[in-house]
Amino acid sequence: MVTGTMDYFDPKSISEAISILSKWGERARIIAGGTDVMVDMKHKEEPVCLVNIKRIPNMSYIKEEGGGLRMGPLTTIREIETSRLVRERFPVLWEASRQFASLQIRNTATIGGNICRASPSGEMLAPLLVLEAKARIVLPDGERIVPFDTFFIGPGKTVLGSNGLLKEIEIPTPPKESCSIYLKHAVRGAMDIAIVSVAVLVTSDSKESSANDVRIGLGAVAPTPIRAKKAEAILRGKSFEQRRIGETAIEAAAEAQPITDQRGTAEYRKWIVEALIRRGLNETWKAKARKGRS
Amino acid sequence: MESKSQEGKVLMMIKINLTVNGKRKTVDLEPSLSLMDFLRDTLGIKGVKVCCNIGECGACTVLLDGKLVNSCVVLAADAADCQIVTVEGIAEGDKLHPVQEAFIERGAAQCGYCTPGFIMVGKTLLDQNPTPTLEEIKDFIYGNICRCTGYTKIIEAIQVASKQMEGKGGQP
Repeated sequence: MVTGTMDYFDPKSISEAISILSKWGERARIIAGGTDVMVDMKHKEEPVCLVNIKRIPNMSYIKEEGGGLRMGPLTTIREIETSRLVRERFPVLWEASRQFASLQIRNTATIGGNICRASPSGEMLAPLLVLEAKARIVLPDGERIVPFDTFFIGPGKTVLGSNGLLKEIEIPTPPKESCSIYLKHAVRGAMDIAIVSVAVLVTSDSKESSANDVRIGLGAVAPTPIRAKKAEAILRGKSFEQRRIGETAIEAAAEAQPITDQRGTAEYRKWIVEALIRRGLNETWKAKARKGRS
Repeated sequence: MESKSQEGKVLMMIKINLTVNGKRKTVDLEPSLSLMDFLRDTLGIKGVKVCCNIGECGACTVLLDGKLVNSCVVLAADAADCQIVTVEGIAEGDKLHPVQEAFIERGAAQCGYCTPGFIMVGKTLLDQNPTPTLEEIKDFIYGNICRCTGYTKIIEAIQVASKQMEGKGGQP
């Protein structure tokens, strides 16, 4: 509820932002695009202090560097969607950006906001996990790099705590012999939060008969986005065949820890994980075979 | 900008400059104000509709520096030094924009509540892609919800406006 007594800061540098967050701690709320924070402010609770980080320069960019991608946290989802670089080299992330909410939201929402909101069903998160992306973060005691698979610690909770800032997203280029897919299961074709989302990245050998590496990311089925590591191990280094794909899908479903909520039961979600992993592995395998032939 | 002491009850205000429908303005804002509430309540621009108020229906859609946004989830303070265009700003004097004309001609409004949002989206689509296919139209407008029309007439209106803007006449 808007009360009119909120404090407001728009720092012009990361260090200024960190110092404000150090002083205000839990009472401060960072706003990037605002598509989540504005809803909270109006319908849940107005923060004591709002910290608008959009005046910090050089936080919105997509650039190729050192064999991978570096992305500023204030890059909008629409900028990701319209980036040829992301579409061609990081298609699993691009596909997630395409399915994110609506055009109006994508023009406003930022990838940093989606990450730091740390919703278990955050659209961009399972792709970041399978791309083995890393977060460059700033805390009062300095800067460090945190792989995304240890960045999320619970629903709405990250290693940033209440006084850290996400400075950059680093995404290594996936191996040349890899194929990926992002699949989102939702009720509607538009504007829906995922009931289940999966990101699959498969690297195969030159004969496309076996999987050198398998990465499976699951969204909306655990307190955080997760990698289904036991499932990956079933297929990694082994040949693609339906029976093994099926076992991998079943194990991925077992690794999911979904809840029952208004979008679906836990049982349904596990069922969908299995179906989407089976589909995802088959699609990436087929796509790899097509690539190999061209 | 003034910051207040924690004990004081002084209302904190931010001063911004912006352009709204071609008119430059300098205003003082409460920091928590949304762009939607600013346009409607501070500037009296009522073509921006309040509907879901959580960024999901598109009724409050405006153009912010040429980009379609849900103004209910944009901070008014973030419109500083920006150009805002609402449905009130797309006609040229008395001459309605072709998308507005087409909505009238095709009967694409029933209650009319979603209409300003759809008109902003339709206009922006045709500015970027003058001859969209049916799929391209649907792909562009899906952030806007209509509870009355079933979307058929809205899509027809956009197709008619497309032909009109291409100079091919108004017949679908």
